[in-house]
Amino acid sequence: MTPVYFKNFKTEFKQLIIVFLMMLYACVYTHANSSIVFRDVTEETGITFKHTDGSSGKRYIVESVSAGLALFDYDRDGDEDIYFLNGAALKGAKYVSAPKNALYRNGGGWKFTDVTEKAGVGDTGFGLGVAAGDYDNDGDPDLYINNYGPNVLYRNNGDGTFTDVTKRAGVANGHKVGAAAFFLDMDKDGDLDLFVANYLDFTYQNHLMRTSKGIPKYAGPMDYPPMPNDLFRNNGDGTFTNVSKESGVADHKGWGMGGVCADYDNDGDTDVYIANDVAGNFLFENDGTGKFKEVGLVTGLAYDLQGNEHGSMGIDCGDYDNDGKLDFYQTCYSKELATLFRNLGDNLFEDVTMLTGAGAGTLPHVTWGNSFVDFDNDGHRDIFIACGHLQDNVELYNDKETTFAQNVILKNTGDGKFVNVSEDSGDGMKAKLRSRGAAFDDMDNDGDIDVVILNSRGGPTILRNDSPSKGHWVQVRLRGVRTNHDGVGARVKVVAGDLTLIDEVHSGRGYQSHYGMRLHFGLGGRKKVDRIEVRWIGGEVEIFQNISANRLVTITEGTGRTE
Amino acid sequence: MAKQIKRRKRKTKKSSHFQPPSTTEKRHKWILLSAIIVCIAIAGLFWMKYFSGPDEKSQKTKLRIDSTTGPDISVLTDEEKIAALKTEQMQLAQQLLRDFPGSDATVALVGSVYEQHGNNIEAVKFFNKALELNPNRADVYSALGWIAFMKEEYEEAITLRRRALEIDANLPGLRSAIASAMMMVGRHTEAIEQLEQNVQFFPKSVHSHFLLGQAYLQQKDYENAKKHYKRAIELDKNHVNAYYGLFTACSRLKQQDEASEYQAIFKNLKAEERKGLKDRKVAFDDAIEMQKAVAETYMHAGKMYQDQGKPEKAQDLMERAVALEQKNTLYLMELASSYGMSNRMTEALEVHKTISEIEPQNPVCFLNIGVISAQLKRFEDAEEALLTVIKLAPKESSGYRLLAQLYLEAQRNLPKTRELAEKALAFEATAFNYFLLGWACDVNGDTADAFSALKRAVELDPKNPKYQQMLMYIKEKELIK
Repeated sequence: MTPVYFKNFKTEFKQLIIVFLMMLYACVYTHANSSIVFRDVTEETGITFKHTDGSSGKRYIVESVSAGLALFDYDRDGDEDIYFLNGAALKGAKYVSAPKNALYRNGGGWKFTDVTEKAGVGDTGFGLGVAAGDYDNDGDPDLYINNYGPNVLYRNNGDGTFTDVTKRAGVANGHKVGAAAFFLDMDKDGDLDLFVANYLDFTYQNHLMRTSKGIPKYAGPMDYPPMPNDLFRNNGDGTFTNVSKESGVADHKGWGMGGVCADYDNDGDTDVYIANDVAGNFLFENDGTGKFKEVGLVTGLAYDLQGNEHGSMGIDCGDYDNDGKLDFYQTCYSKELATLFRNLGDNLFEDVTMLTGAGAGTLPHVTWGNSFVDFDNDGHRDIFIACGHLQDNVELYNDKETTFAQNVILKNTGDGKFVNVSEDSGDGMKAKLRSRGAAFDDMDNDGDIDVVILNSRGGPTILRNDSPSKGHWVQVRLRGVRTNHDGVGARVKVVAGDLTLIDEVHSGRGYQSHYGMRLHFGLGGRKKVDRIEVRWIGGEVEIFQNISANRLVTITEGTGRTE
Repeated sequence: MAKQIKRRKRKTKKSSHFQPPSTTEKRHKWILLSAIIVCIAIAGLFWMKYFSGPDEKSQKTKLRIDSTTGPDISVLTDEEKIAALKTEQMQLAQQLLRDFPGSDATVALVGSVYEQHGNNIEAVKFFNKALELNPNRADVYSALGWIAFMKEEYEEAITLRRRALEIDANLPGLRSAIASAMMMVGRHTEAIEQLEQNVQFFPKSVHSHFLLGQAYLQQKDYENAKKHYKRAIELDKNHVNAYYGLFTACSRLKQQDEASEYQAIFKNLKAEERKGLKDRKVAFDDAIEMQKAVAETYMHAGKMYQDQGKPEKAQDLMERAVALEQKNTLYLMELASSYGMSNRMTEALEVHKTISEIEPQNPVCFLNIGVISAQLKRFEDAEEALLTVIKLAPKESSGYRLLAQLYLEAQRNLPKTRELAEKALAFEATAFNYFLLGWACDVNGDTADAFSALKRAVELDPKNPKYQQMLMYIKEKELIK
């Protein structure tokens, strides 16, 4: 017969074990999962694209900065497709078949199909930057690729195919080292103009290699002459005119990389903010007619808090503190903090990186693609930063830095601060790669934003947003009628209870990439949207009220209603 | 009969013009030849010792410096050169570890060598070892703090730097470094406390004032920000970043005119700074930078051996340092000093001459040349050097003093000695200069003035027996008169 006390002990012991296991599970689960979680689903997608930088061991500078990517719905079937840029054989490199850009059609359920050949967008140039935009306002997005070498404009035929119309359009832009590209309506005439950033004046003749402690490494941008950027005005007939000089853009030479076009001063026109590598960034302020004045220094956006230029790489914009003003985030070289510029109003910005913790995790790394995205839909935009060294052998001369690096996710705590939650945000954040462009969109239409990253010399990383405790959300897609078809440059304000959020439609952003034309707003616990205001670029302001949350809202200009 | 004839025919004919020498004569010739050779050898040695000029000697010394224990890297490609230098530097580091076991200085030096090579993992190991041997190494804590900072381990950086400060409160830059780490994590109020404290200790610390400006700016205390940025530019009128800070602070204070003024200055200085940066980048030579780093290690190592009383080894290492960085006058001075301490005055002299070629406007090296030449009894060399000192530093006492002394000791150019001594005295009224004047007056027949001068010398330095003796001598002379 079992003694009573022993029976009781067994029961109590079992209960203790259960409680212990539950606590252990809670700890592990909590530790492994912050409110933002990414799962690496690359393997499931069927994407076989591998980036090549065209290298041959000579360390041409263009290899190190390739490349961006685009997320856009090329076939207008309601989901975002992916366009990867690729390098090309540089002098001394040989390939069995020429590397080319790749277009993957989103088939839903995280399955993607390579439709490059069918679509006719397999450009074999050395891809650096890309932007998507409906430049001819025919209802489907076109593609502009900024290359090392002649650029390419692919017009979307609307049937799943594209045509190379570069020559006719007049936008090949010679033989330059390109960088970012943007479509914007600079003169508010209803069609999309084209801003083309240029990196530097590199040729095989002026190529040089550097060493550090005897270890060969890529030369830096200051080893090459700077270049002005180019601006093309859309003539409305499928052609463009280079207005770089008369617009004032050509007056300034720099080492352009990423950037974003946004209405920084909220005066109703689109300005252009360009990252310059190892020089003050350029902010081209639009006077509303397509004439630009460079105001980076006076606004506080050229340099960091100390007045130092960065090896700036990518720039994105978003209202991180929900004060109704667009802020900017700029990535950069190692030993520099990626920088958060807070919009103070009155056309002034302040570097608040140290105050907010928005540089956490970035000092030892070279940082590239980035964005303000509300990943957990709590109503506050978080920051994602793609990392990976520019040098491919940095450990040999400085083991404080690494060639391959984990990306960084900074969670917005809602009180003006950021916390580095990279270690606790799922397996998707564990990979150490040499990331470059990053793009952010709702790839599976489940109401949260996923991430697609192009990694240099390798396959991409596709991260599915599996954040557990999600708030409500609303997505807004604009259809311009009198203004450009995609609503590029339009500003949208979403009001939900005590929460006011703003965003703009951009074409081209981050690090030489394109994404996010479908605007996403996290609402936290607010179950409905009281008001959506749309300020069309060069057009009217429309207001829509009482919209339910957790849906995609399509707003067509002038109709007065949402779909 | 035929055989006999044949034999007779074989006999050698004697020429009337040639008489073979006798054995004695042969011996005399050999003796004469040997004597001639010996004489030539002696003459050659005599000539080399007494008539070969300084150029040849310095050539010898230069050759000695060039052909030191290190490998000849001049024939290598830059990559090979750097690899060879790195190997050499590591070998030196290993040798130091063997020769100075248990020395925290050695271990810390090896740590810094690893750090130079970018191997911070090993550097940290050695730095920690150095601290085990000697926990009072503020410099090592500071180095560890820097590594932690760059790895974004800011709290660790603060802790390490605070530890360094506890050990050595006067180590420059520590409080600023602590404040920088604090600001990285948003602890601006604490950073301000650190920096305000620092400017109490180091009121002329430009960097502290600049960082204070920055911290106050971030705290939106624009008046204080402006105050400290202004102080920074008072101390360093070309501080580019302080002008940026001033422009920003004035903008925030809506002081637009001032903001514009500072903005303009910032732009100009920034343009110059960038030009300088570009020039430096273009001129950057990885191999030369590596040479400098290795030279520095050799110099540190040399001083270690010097401190341990091993001057020959110290000099070998210093010579290698100098071979790697031939225009580094600091290293040359160290080497000359080491030679001097070992009484290798000829070598010391050649090194000072090398310095004078690099810095022909530097009176100090000519002073050293003068002093050492005088010690080596090379009057003309000493005179020439000291005249150069006077030319380069006409308002310094030393040149006049030493030249007067040279003339008096060598009993040459005596009429000039009084004027020289008077000039020395005019610039520096020391006991020795009075003594010299007294001596000069005496040799020029002015006993009265000699007496006055020597009396003053004794007043200023009553315990100096030489002055007393000279004074007595002059007194007696006066009495005899």
